[in-house]
Amino acid sequence: MNKKNKMASIQLALTRVLVYAIILFLCFLCLFFFVMLIVNASRTNNQLQRGFTLIPGGHFFYNMKNAFADASIQIPSGMMNSFIVAASSALLTTYFSALTAYGLYVYDFKLKKLAYTFIIAVMMIPTQVSAVGFVQLVYKYGMNNKLWVLIVPSIAAPAVFYYMHQYLKATLPLDIVEASRIDGASEFGTFNRIVLPIMKPAMAVQMIFSFVAAWNNYFLPALLLTKAGKKTVPIMIAQLRSADYSKFDMGKVYMFILLAILPVIVVYMFLSKSIIKGVTSGSVKG
Amino acid sequence: MKNKKPKGKSVSYAKWGYIFIIPFFVVYVLFTLYPQFLTVYNSFFENYRDGLTQVGPRFVGLDNYKALLTPTSSGSIDIIKYFGNTIVMWIMGSVPQFVFALLLAVFFTNTRLNIKGQRIMKTVIYMPNLIMASAFSMLFYTLFSNVGPIKPLLMQMGIIDKTFDFFFITISVRSLVALLNFLMWFGNTTILLMAGIQSIDESLFESARIDGASSTRVFFNITMPLLKPIFVYTLITSMIGGLQMFDVPSVLTNAKGTPDRTVMTVIMYLNNYLGGSNNYGMAGAISVLLFIVTGILSVIVFKTIDRDKG
Amino acid sequence: MAEVRLQDIVKIYPQIEKDKHSKKKHNLEVTEKGVVAVQQFNMDIKDKEFIVLVGPSGCGKSTTLRMIAGLEEITEGELYIDGELMNAVAPKDRDIAMVFQSYALYPHMTVFDNMAYSLKIKHMPKEEIRKKVEEAAEILDITKYLDRKPKALSGGQRQRVAIGRAIVRNPKVLLMDEPLSNLDAKLRNQMRAELLKLQNRIQTTIVYVTHDQVEAMTLGDRIVVMKDGYIQQIGTPQEVFNHPANTFVAGFIGTPQMNFFEGELVRNGEEYSVHYKNYVVRLSESKAKRLAEKHVESQSVTFGVRPDQMHIGEEGIDAEVEVSEMMGTSSHLHAKLDGKDVIVIVPTNGEESTDITRIKLSFSGKMVHVFSKEDGRNLEI
Repeated sequence: MNKKNKMASIQLALTRVLVYAIILFLCFLCLFFFVMLIVNASRTNNQLQRGFTLIPGGHFFYNMKNAFADASIQIPSGMMNSFIVAASSALLTTYFSALTAYGLYVYDFKLKKLAYTFIIAVMMIPTQVSAVGFVQLVYKYGMNNKLWVLIVPSIAAPAVFYYMHQYLKATLPLDIVEASRIDGASEFGTFNRIVLPIMKPAMAVQMIFSFVAAWNNYFLPALLLTKAGKKTVPIMIAQLRSADYSKFDMGKVYMFILLAILPVIVVYMFLSKSIIKGVTSGSVKG
Repeated sequence: MKNKKPKGKSVSYAKWGYIFIIPFFVVYVLFTLYPQFLTVYNSFFENYRDGLTQVGPRFVGLDNYKALLTPTSSGSIDIIKYFGNTIVMWIMGSVPQFVFALLLAVFFTNTRLNIKGQRIMKTVIYMPNLIMASAFSMLFYTLFSNVGPIKPLLMQMGIIDKTFDFFFITISVRSLVALLNFLMWFGNTTILLMAGIQSIDESLFESARIDGASSTRVFFNITMPLLKPIFVYTLITSMIGGLQMFDVPSVLTNAKGTPDRTVMTVIMYLNNYLGGSNNYGMAGAISVLLFIVTGILSVIVFKTIDRDKG
Repeated sequence: MAEVRLQDIVKIYPQIEKDKHSKKKHNLEVTEKGVVAVQQFNMDIKDKEFIVLVGPSGCGKSTTLRMIAGLEEITEGELYIDGELMNAVAPKDRDIAMVFQSYALYPHMTVFDNMAYSLKIKHMPKEEIRKKVEEAAEILDITKYLDRKPKALSGGQRQRVAIGRAIVRNPKVLLMDEPLSNLDAKLRNQMRAELLKLQNRIQTTIVYVTHDQVEAMTLGDRIVVMKDGYIQQIGTPQEVFNHPANTFVAGFIGTPQMNFFEGELVRNGEEYSVHYKNYVVRLSESKAKRLAEKHVESQSVTFGVRPDQMHIGEEGIDAEVEVSEMMGTSSHLHAKLDGKDVIVIVPTNGEESTDITRIKLSFSGKMVHVFSKEDGRNLEI
């Protein structure tokens, strides 16, 4: 009897070792490149020529100063533009998705079912399909190099709408809406004072995801923003790639990359718990 | 008897439904639906810029599609080749992505293994998903390029020699694209599959174990069949996302798809027509083809979700 | 001072829409316009009256309440509050308040803010709001919870907050939709008594919806019994209990349910009797008089006797006891009578239960309700 128990616990221990090894290896892979990025961003060009090391070089702020002062890659302006686009998109997309979701959840009207089905049906269409026509329109009306053409479309985000709709279905009893009506609130009053506060968790999660998506977006901004002072960070990163490499201060290059991803990493460090929770709640539920 | 504040005939709230959804639909129609229509419309026209001269727009019927599907001098059809590239790289990344995600999801949810530090582990593996793809790719380029630190490291270890160049060999560039996609997505998939496993009634696992099933048996007889709808959903959305692969290969190869356009994806191809010559006709035709392929995949998604519900 | 007048009110749901509010398949009439949830509802509710709408689920009672509230469109007919037509007036302008079955408290607000919400919307001065909320909280004994969020309250406390939110504005009409149904039995009894006290105190018109006939009997000044969208009877609890308009009301009001028998009504001049097989009971004079006034002739009828009006004795209808439920001061005997279940309440007198299985059942002619066999209506009314 004793032997059987012992065998089983040895087997479990071995399995555990193997499992932890796999998990830790993957965690290592995820972190390794970022550690290298941070290390290299702290080394001078000369230090970098000497090859691989994981010991920081102590020139982090030197590189940062250089990066901010660079004339061809205007990273401060890029970060500002990216921030304007990402923050405005995040606000618009969450507010209007919640508004639309509420409209389709609470009210009964003739076109309700049609409207809902329509949004769900177009949810899967890749953004690139509208890109050709969109680019053509933007250039036709001379709206290229205007940040708002990237912001306004975020009012209509089918996937965010779907998430909000699911959330409303799960958390907002119609009674509460009716109670507010009887308490004398107008329809917009009910939405802003009762519904939005109830949706706060969903709004926060979607705001983060939309911000990140807009911050990281490369394809469309690259086609529309061509003027130096209007470019966003991803465009500058790609620009970096196409520049003549040998002439570059590599420490600065690593710093550019770090600056591009840093805002998102910082947000993630503080909100990782709710972000990870948000990943699952947006997907299909049986 | 006087009627107090006569507003219409009734207290119907229907109009508010319209008011609330109108901004969404106006913006959608103007900024997405109409452009989509224009995309399709353009695909039947010759419309591009050649240097400083504007060619078209001129109606050409299906000529753009014919041009797309005509073999080049080397005998291959570009668009097919690029679809092929995209799919190959998607598979190279998604096979390990799903294998490891499934493994991790099972590990994390297994009460017997009782993995400690799950929260921090999940935080770490999900992080790459939020990283700017273009910046991540740029990082890979600097690290793996001839002047980067990885090459000397591998040379020291005797794995490669001095002539080796990561960006000169199809398989190695494709592998880097796949590795990036894998790193960026396996954490996301793990979390989705975990949620799927957690939604399975715990007592099913318990009763299977008491019935004498081994962990492997439990996985194949209980976990997989019940996880299937979510698994298929994740797989197909991943495939739809994979078809739109752009940032990673584009930045990694400086939009050239080198070597020999073996890393060129469909969207990179589209981008070339759109960015350089404003060739709305050809770009439109590529979009329509992409739309059709995605549409077919979407239908499959909805079929699986429906079956899940039914 | 608020009278409510419902005049020929009809509610029809277009059939295509799958309704969110408890509309499953019922025996509702379906016209070309849709499903008729409420049929020709006519009633005058007096000032300060406590009206209870009662009926099984899907009978249209909640829909009626929601039409008074303005949450539901009135398809046909007219609704007046204090003589003013209200059909098109939004709920916020009707000066009504409502207590929901789910309480519908705003989860992100404290109890105080929940109660103050409607007053804030009216832009009432802050001091006045505080005074009013505290007053209402005092009445309901929830003063010490004012800073809590609903999540931190028990079911009974939430219930009080919901009522508090409604009374804080001194509405003309207070509407209550099954407010007690989410409480456990003990709390429900307690709240029932408190609701009566509350009504005395706040002196307002109350329309109350419930499916529980005990609540209806104990709370209502008048009861409206509904079924399948139709009003079955309107009356005081005594009227409804003693003179049920039809077999449905007779069976719905009173527990255990009234026993029904298929028998014959025989008229002999001014005298009436009911016959069940060999058993004959002569109806009381007052009953006979009312039947005679209605010119009721001999016919096959359904007659009903409440379980506590059935007696066990030497003579009567043969029945066989299947189960005896000891309820304390009395026992409920479940007997089989020609294949039908009959319930009889007998006092226990402190004795151990007897093992009688065969009994003879009798009842007095004063306590028999006679209903038409065709449509179930009470022949006396």
